[in-house]
Amino acid sequence: MAKGVLVIGGGPAGLGAARILGRLGIPTILVEKEDRLGGNPVLNHYHTLIPRKLKPEQVIGPYIKEVESNPNVQVKLKTELSACEGEPGSYKVTLSNGETHEVGAIVVATGFEHFDPRRKGELGYGLYPDVITNLELEQMFSKEGRLYRPSNGQLPKRVAFVFCVGSRDRQLGVTNVHCCRYGCALSGLQAMEIRQHYPDVDVFCYYMDVRTYGTWEYPFYWAPQEQYGVRYVRGRIAEITYSPADGRLRVKHEDTIVQRPSEVPMDLVVLVLGMEPSAGTKKVAKILGLAQDPDSKFLVPSEESGSNIISNKPGIFIAGACKGPIDIESSLSEGEAAGAEAAAFVGAKVTV
Amino acid sequence: MAIHERSLVEPERIVRKERLVIDGVDVSGDWNLIILPRVINDYDLDFAKEIINSPDGKTINQCYQCSYCTASCPVHNYWDERYNPRHFIYLARLGMIDELQKRADVMWRCVSCHKCTHRCPKGVLVEEVLKVILRTMAKKGLIDEYPSKKFDKFFTESVLEYGRIEDGELLFGWIEKQGYNVVKDPILKKPIPFLGETPEWLKQLVMKPIKSMNVSFLVLNAKHMLFHPRTKNWNKFKQVLRKVMQEEGALT
Repeated sequence: MAKGVLVIGGGPAGLGAARILGRLGIPTILVEKEDRLGGNPVLNHYHTLIPRKLKPEQVIGPYIKEVESNPNVQVKLKTELSACEGEPGSYKVTLSNGETHEVGAIVVATGFEHFDPRRKGELGYGLYPDVITNLELEQMFSKEGRLYRPSNGQLPKRVAFVFCVGSRDRQLGVTNVHCCRYGCALSGLQAMEIRQHYPDVDVFCYYMDVRTYGTWEYPFYWAPQEQYGVRYVRGRIAEITYSPADGRLRVKHEDTIVQRPSEVPMDLVVLVLGMEPSAGTKKVAKILGLAQDPDSKFLVPSEESGSNIISNKPGIFIAGACKGPIDIESSLSEGEAAGAEAAAFVGAKVTV
Repeated sequence: MAIHERSLVEPERIVRKERLVIDGVDVSGDWNLIILPRVINDYDLDFAKEIINSPDGKTINQCYQCSYCTASCPVHNYWDERYNPRHFIYLARLGMIDELQKRADVMWRCVSCHKCTHRCPKGVLVEEVLKVILRTMAKKGLIDEYPSKKFDKFFTESVLEYGRIEDGELLFGWIEKQGYNVVKDPILKKPIPFLGETPEWLKQLVMKPIKSMNVSFLVLNAKHMLFHPRTKNWNKFKQVLRKVMQEEGALT
């Protein structure tokens, strides 16, 4: 009988890994520090996922269901990894609930966390109620099903999206110089949703450049403009102020195409948040001795292997957003790949 | 004092004072120069919507500001670089009317070569969109009509009245509209060529062909000038045509 595998993290990547390990008949322990599975999309109530515009329960639901019902997978909620000893092939892991297990391999899928926009004081988040994050806009859609200004509950006439809050920003230090990869596309999607349901609301996206890479170009950059009339204005918002005279916000920026300073009134401003490695990712990297990017602190794969899911420690595999910004569906498939690699590492013989 | 990025600041925004005293403090010298703010305070979205909602302006939303059109444009490249189709599209989409008006003197200069439209990677009908922008601006009184439009109207009026044009009347009638003092015959009130003021270029343009014409052709021309030729049974058609054009808003 092959040794078991420990999967750390119950988000998309962890679920992908646990599902494939369970299917291959490997005894698997899935630890998740929160009280339910699903990771950020489920815990934070995402509304619609890019790129296929599906709901979180449509994408992640089948994975949760299978992982919870597969007898090979033991799910341990509200549990974290606290220590790890031993060598490749027989790691002795200690969990926060006091249990110890011997496993043959470990899949790390500890994910990311959203940037805290309070660190960009000039954007007025926390100061003005009508400055919200794109995460809060998602929750507004998914929980309340309507668009409103938090200050007075009214429908806004104008909505502005502020790109790259906490991304590509050296002012925050070397930790936030990377691109969040999802922000441009998600903003396009949210802007389309607003225009679809409220055609009288004008939506503006303030961008420096738009990075809806690959096949996302048409559905998340062209469609918002061509089909929904979303306006893209070039210039990074440098400051958000509030005018008591009319109760509206002002977005201060230079329109870099017109080369003029601008202070345009807006009713609702949505900050597009960057991604940072989660506290769990940093902690696990320390416990397991995994290589991290010196700037962003995301995990980095081993240079020798060529594969991007094999870590610098033999028998430890890394998948999903703990390695850097990634979309949910790629995260699921990375998890599945890491699960299969872990199964091969512990010597599972699979017969069909 | 030097002004940073001087080309961006319109002369009327620059205020210089010989002596300047603010709150009792004499700040004459280096500090006597003031640049009035250039801040954009709002977008005129009603203007933008009128363009986007017009049938030939719809493709304006497809533009992603790559400037393929401007780089191809002969007017931009060989005449005046302030003629910039890409920029006009951006300004119109956000309703920045004051910026468009700044370029009013060059905006009519499209030569309709359609390179922009043929080359646009996003399928924007650039030439049509620019015409919509100009049309909308002219309709709202934000820009003067292009001078050639006056000739077009005169030409249309002549065709509507007689079913055809008459060269002499078109030329000298047009000269009269331009403000030249044209002498007319007392009975039919038709302009008599070359008796009144005539621009030098017109004399040169017309005298050469006249010299090479035979007499009967000259007589025919003179007759046409006095008695305007008409298309047969034009009167009935004229009434229908006028009615239709009025309904379509083509007669302004």
